Amino acid sequence: MSARDAILAKLKGAAPDKAAADALLIAPERPAVDTGALEAEFLARLALPSVSASHDAIDTVADLPAAVARYLAAQGEPHTLCLPRDPRLSACDWSGFTLHEAAAPDEVATLAIARLGIAETGSLVFETAPQAPMLPNFLALHHIVLLAVEDIAAHLEDAPLVGAQPRAHYWITGVSGTTDIEGTYVRGAHGPRFLHVILLRGAVG
Amino acid sequence: MTRKVALFVTCLVDLMRPRIGFAAIRALEAAGCEVVVPEGQTCCGQPALNSGDRDHAVALAKQTIAALEPYEAVVVPSGSCAGTIRCHYPELFEHDAAWLPRAHAVAGKTFEIMAYLDEVCGWRPEGVSLDAKATYHDSCSGLRELGIKAQPRRLLKSVEGLRLAPLQGEETCCGFGGTFCVKYPSISNAIVGEKADAIDATGADLLLAADLGCLMNMAGKLNRKGSKVRAFHAIELIAGMGDGPAIGEEA
Amino acid sequence: MSGFTDRVDLALADRILKVAVERTAGTAEAKRAVAVDAFPDFEAARDRAAAIKDHVVAHLGAYLEQFEAKAIAAGAKVHWASTADEACRIVIDICKAAGAKSVARSKSMLGEEIGLPHALAEAGIGRVETDLAEHIIQLADERPSHIIWPAMHKTREQVSALFKAKHRSPHEEETIAAMAESARRELRTQMLGADVGISGANFLIADTGAVCTVTNEGNAELSLVPPRVHIVTAGIEKIVPSMPHAIHMLRMLARSATGATLTQYTTFYTGPKRADDRDGPEEMHIVLVDNGRTKMREEGLAEMLRCIRCGACMNHCVVFRQIGGHAYGGTYPGPMGAVLTPVFDGLKQSRELASACTLNGKCQEVCPVRIPLPTLLRGWREKSWREGLEPTSMRWGLGIWAWVARRPALYRFGTGVAVRVMQILGKKGWISRLPLAGGWTRYRDMPKPAPQTFMNQYKKGRRT
Repeated sequence: MSARDAILAKLKGAAPDKAAADALLIAPERPAVDTGALEAEFLARLALPSVSASHDAIDTVADLPAAVARYLAAQGEPHTLCLPRDPRLSACDWSGFTLHEAAAPDEVATLAIARLGIAETGSLVFETAPQAPMLPNFLALHHIVLLAVEDIAAHLEDAPLVGAQPRAHYWITGVSGTTDIEGTYVRGAHGPRFLHVILLRGAVG
Repeated sequence: MTRKVALFVTCLVDLMRPRIGFAAIRALEAAGCEVVVPEGQTCCGQPALNSGDRDHAVALAKQTIAALEPYEAVVVPSGSCAGTIRCHYPELFEHDAAWLPRAHAVAGKTFEIMAYLDEVCGWRPEGVSLDAKATYHDSCSGLRELGIKAQPRRLLKSVEGLRLAPLQGEETCCGFGGTFCVKYPSISNAIVGEKADAIDATGADLLLAADLGCLMNMAGKLNRKGSKVRAFHAIELIAGMGDGPAIGEEA
Repeated sequence: MSGFTDRVDLALADRILKVAVERTAGTAEAKRAVAVDAFPDFEAARDRAAAIKDHVVAHLGAYLEQFEAKAIAAGAKVHWASTADEACRIVIDICKAAGAKSVARSKSMLGEEIGLPHALAEAGIGRVETDLAEHIIQLADERPSHIIWPAMHKTREQVSALFKAKHRSPHEEETIAAMAESARRELRTQMLGADVGISGANFLIADTGAVCTVTNEGNAELSLVPPRVHIVTAGIEKIVPSMPHAIHMLRMLARSATGATLTQYTTFYTGPKRADDRDGPEEMHIVLVDNGRTKMREEGLAEMLRCIRCGACMNHCVVFRQIGGHAYGGTYPGPMGAVLTPVFDGLKQSRELASACTLNGKCQEVCPVRIPLPTLLRGWREKSWREGLEPTSMRWGLGIWAWVARRPALYRFGTGVAVRVMQILGKKGWISRLPLAGGWTRYRDMPKPAPQTFMNQYKKGRRT
């Protein structure tokens, strides 16, 4: 008998009742979020020590390069950027920047668009796609994220995609950190040491 | 209406510190109860239960149930023994149709003494005073199996002159654990050593708790390390017997 | 291998260990308390988490089949393993087929449980542990001592010395930040150069076929995105019905483990990279591992299958806090380890773990899925007693005591004698050496009892 058959033979039983599974989700206990003030709620979570993200705000996508330049300058970093091949980003005027598409092992900064922000936790929600590589978002020292204010949702339950799934659906909730040595928190274990969210008041396009 | 209660003395109180039993009687009578001490009782069987010796645990549980079932209510001056009867007897007879209802019946009318005096009788000590600073340790079984936490503190509040100093880690196990303390004495010692330090750090004159096993463990460690803190079962103070010898003091 | 009590003695004598354990577990305990207080109705949330896991365990076979079908539909290959050896063999075969010279591993307790590090070494495949703590453990050639903080037993000074001896360009400044930076430099190129990435799974989502990993460092993603092959080894109990169920469990996991509201990186992988994706593995393999779990379900340990490996039970355990994780001798330490280790290593080897517990109930109180750990530990004690594994002295001692205790008249006589004997042994109210109770009096004094038992005094008419 195959291991599969052996395991399943021991686990024979009634098929799960969808209604029973759904009943376990009625009115879940979760942190309260003021849905009338999602932006403020989200920003409050971004500022938590465990998240430690900074933020800026712009009115249109056209303002994005200036906001990125502002951030990099403030950090004392060169205007070098890993920029995924996303038409919404390529449409901006990146003159003055050194751009590249693939992230180097010592990549300084990368830019990505979050599909959603989650007010409950300050999480940023991403998916892999042809125009959205995953590696740069973990490799770079500075992870810069564009998020439209209108894309801020209340709870984690708002994050999952319905239907076909991409290779990876992921939530980033703050900078890389570790407490592996004496329980002491330090930033930037492996992933980005800095997370900077640029809020867009208008639509991403 | 007089409440008729049976006192389950517990083997440890019977053997090591009878005055806890007498304090229990005194407090219960002050609360308007008529107290009897059933003849057939010895030990609730907890040591056997916690050692995995199910057969002996069952035998002692049956003996205890038979001894206690004639009474309206059973009061126990120990959270772990009361917990054994209330929580574990029904588990022991889960598959015994004849004994399960009897186990449930006794479990349902068995109370830890602080809970009984406070919640059932709604009683407070009157005219009891003791000028002392005490700290209180919450014994684990009483705390987690029976929810004994506020009851002793409410009762002690009525002891005039008694001040309670908070104990750092008051809900942390003292390392007694029944047979644990003799099976793994070095681990137990490390745990009770920290507990004794925390008790000393309160600056209290008295250590109070409501389970003699834990009290003997903590008092024994305090004495070994030369601490001046004196230990009592809380019921002794509540019954107005806090002026007598503490645990380990000659009468 | 030394016995449990030898390991305990070693641990208790190690004051550095005590300091190290206290620093991390103490912080975790405090942070969890704050997080739980801030959460609306954590008790109800625990009920729900337990109910979700019980539902899954009750319908485990059907959910596994659903997960398998969805994962295959997404392009993953699903493998099944009944035993630890079988699971390792499957992983090694995949690595060999991929021509792998090195694998990057993201911390997985299941990997430790099945002995994967050892199996990879035997197969001659290089292994890079990418979790910072696992990296420390690998450099020190040790075993994890905690399921969340595997290097909990090491102080910063010890880690510093280790990195200085083993890293190519170690830190110069003696700070934890500088040490973490040294590991970042050391591991980055190794991670990016691995042929295979191996992870565990925190959750398997039945209705999408997704595998969820959580980390705070980002090492899982850095280990799993670049290599050509991604292998997941997961216990079959990791299933949840859907994403919202996973979300509830994630809220519980983060708060219970570290006191955070969520881990920094929470990723759901569904199949290998899609045709036009810029990165990601070309192959994804999921190895579903039984290794005793179906047996646990049948033999009274179904509640243990709720466990989400948060580590709260050990952080709050008075015994763990004194002896640390290595003394337990198994893959999993603390209360949950004391329940699990007999499943993997046999009760005869590990029966002492269940006994070395005060049954104080704190672990159950903090468990996010309400596992009745003390009850399960009592169950092992009972089995050990039934199978005659307990020491003869204990069996005889308890047997005689119980025999007497069942005869109240004889018992009264016996206790009467006992108190008289103790009267003789006591001095100034205390007994400092008591025959048959050396374990007690070695470390603490025994109060001298009153001259007569309660029952004797009561019989003679004393009432108050």
